[in-house]
Amino acid sequence: MKRKLKIYTPFVNAGIQEVATYRVNWIFFMLGNAIACLVSYFIWAAVYSSGTKESMNGFTMPQMIVYIVLMFLTNTIIASDGAYVVGEEIREGSIIMRLIKPVSYNATFLFQELGNKLSTEIAIAVPMIITVEVIRTVLSGVLQFNAFNLLLYILSCALAYLVNFYFNICFGFIAFVIKYLWGANMMKNVVIGFLSGTVIPLSFLPDALEKVFLFLPFASLNYTPVMIYMEKYSGAQLWYYIGLQAFWMLFFFGLSKLLWKASVKRLSVQGG
Amino acid sequence: MIHVENLRKEFKKTVKDPGLKGSLKSLFKPKSEKVVAVDNISFKVAEGEILGFIGPNGAGKSTVIKMLTGILTPTSGSCTINGKNPTQNRKSYVKEIGVVFGQRTQLWWDLPLRETYGVLKEIYEVPEDSYKKRMAFLNEVLELDDFISSPVRTLSLGQRMRADIAASLLHSPKVLFLDEPTIGLDVVVKDNIRKAIEHINEQEKTTVILTTHDLADIEQLSKRMVMIDKGTKVFDGSIAGLKSKYGQIRELYFETDVKNAAEVLGYAEHFSLSSDDLSVEPEGNSVKVRFNSSIVPVSDMLSYTLNKINVSDINVKGADIEEIIRRLYEQGVD
Repeated sequence: MKRKLKIYTPFVNAGIQEVATYRVNWIFFMLGNAIACLVSYFIWAAVYSSGTKESMNGFTMPQMIVYIVLMFLTNTIIASDGAYVVGEEIREGSIIMRLIKPVSYNATFLFQELGNKLSTEIAIAVPMIITVEVIRTVLSGVLQFNAFNLLLYILSCALAYLVNFYFNICFGFIAFVIKYLWGANMMKNVVIGFLSGTVIPLSFLPDALEKVFLFLPFASLNYTPVMIYMEKYSGAQLWYYIGLQAFWMLFFFGLSKLLWKASVKRLSVQGG
Repeated sequence: MIHVENLRKEFKKTVKDPGLKGSLKSLFKPKSEKVVAVDNISFKVAEGEILGFIGPNGAGKSTVIKMLTGILTPTSGSCTINGKNPTQNRKSYVKEIGVVFGQRTQLWWDLPLRETYGVLKEIYEVPEDSYKKRMAFLNEVLELDDFISSPVRTLSLGQRMRADIAASLLHSPKVLFLDEPTIGLDVVVKDNIRKAIEHINEQEKTTVILTTHDLADIEQLSKRMVMIDKGTKVFDGSIAGLKSKYGQIRELYFETDVKNAAEVLGYAEHFSLSSDDLSVEPEGNSVKVRFNSSIVPVSDMLSYTLNKINVSDINVKGADIEEIIRRLYEQGVD
């Protein structure tokens, strides 16, 4: 285990340094997300001001603001480029450069991306959490910060990231069949945006639909961590959803191994 | 060391009719056909040998290398390297080999070169002291010092290739695969790289398999070459062997003031040579004649030419390896 970690630590380092090289790219990416967040806010503000009820499907307007900010934060923390990177490597054939190394294909991606994350996400997570707490306190008049909840949120985010990572790796392997993934990737992002509650909280959906969506792996991505932070889940329910996340993580981990075995056999290297 | 037996690789290829209509058709009803990239190739390589692979573009050289390195799974046939099957247990197999694909890089694009070696050191579990020794050795052979601190994306092609070769040798592999290691490089860099490969082969008895389009690579490095064309092996032996087998072509060059010298001489009718064995290219005052010296001895050709017309300058060139290969590529081998 220790030996293994030692092999993959350089990938973490490399990931950190890569971000440093493309700092401006990252800033623009975050700016784009922040704008999307702002748009979301104005839409919900319009919805609440036109309604008569103070609370909609369990969300008051201040809670909705917190929800939007938390979604933005969670999205950034658990984001994974896997599908895109795997797809590109398959498309242009550079996947062979990883194949000639005595390392696990998936693991190199995972550790490289963790390196990317360590250097960037910690930098935004702390100020964002403080922002959320300030907003909550100002809007409700009481300090609601709960350290145990924060720990649960971090645990849930870690699980969500792994679900997302392995899901994306599996998705990326589709490129072995369809060769170019851009279109499928766009579609995936939109569908996930909806299914994971990024666009509308899942509790706004009809009951039956909500039940189905909550079980699907996509709710395990952003929705579960955000709900945990907002203390919407408690007791057995809380552990059920964390368990569900763990289940989906193992599911996609196993699936990625299977897909890898199957697809590497039929690999045809494109370009030289 | 390396045993390759009846290796075969088929690919499925989607075929598309031309134009927009064809694109639409293939979008809904894709047609595919089977392409045989490598067909029944067998050869053996001894330890410490350098084997050169040549063949025209698309002959299947890279596909063979990719099967030998465990990237592609053969459709049928087998290859055993060092007693191991490349497609089974990939991770333990690739620890013993080094691979360079001239058209791609295994270096970390955005990081200083040194970092890549640091990563490789951990991946291949090279101990600290042997890593230091190894780096010193590679530095000496490939002269990496000037650019070891620069990010890889800023390196020139020649520097990058040297760095890539060093990367493939860091873990002292028993077998080194080089797929077009001199592609796109200038004469001096090519020469340096050849010398480095030669040096490493001599010092460490590393078995080297390389593919190339540059015959000088093969002439300088390997005593043995395998030529493949359209997926099949057409020649396996030494360069000298190739010359004696196919090298009967001589090139006669002369200058003359006779107009239409080629027609006046009429080699084809006089010696009754077919176009396979003879080509005549008049160019201004000079004429270039390529002929098969096993049918018409050089002396006959010369005396006939000199008797027939007035010649101001004349010379005969022997079998040029490039010329042999050109003929083989163009006509195939029987």
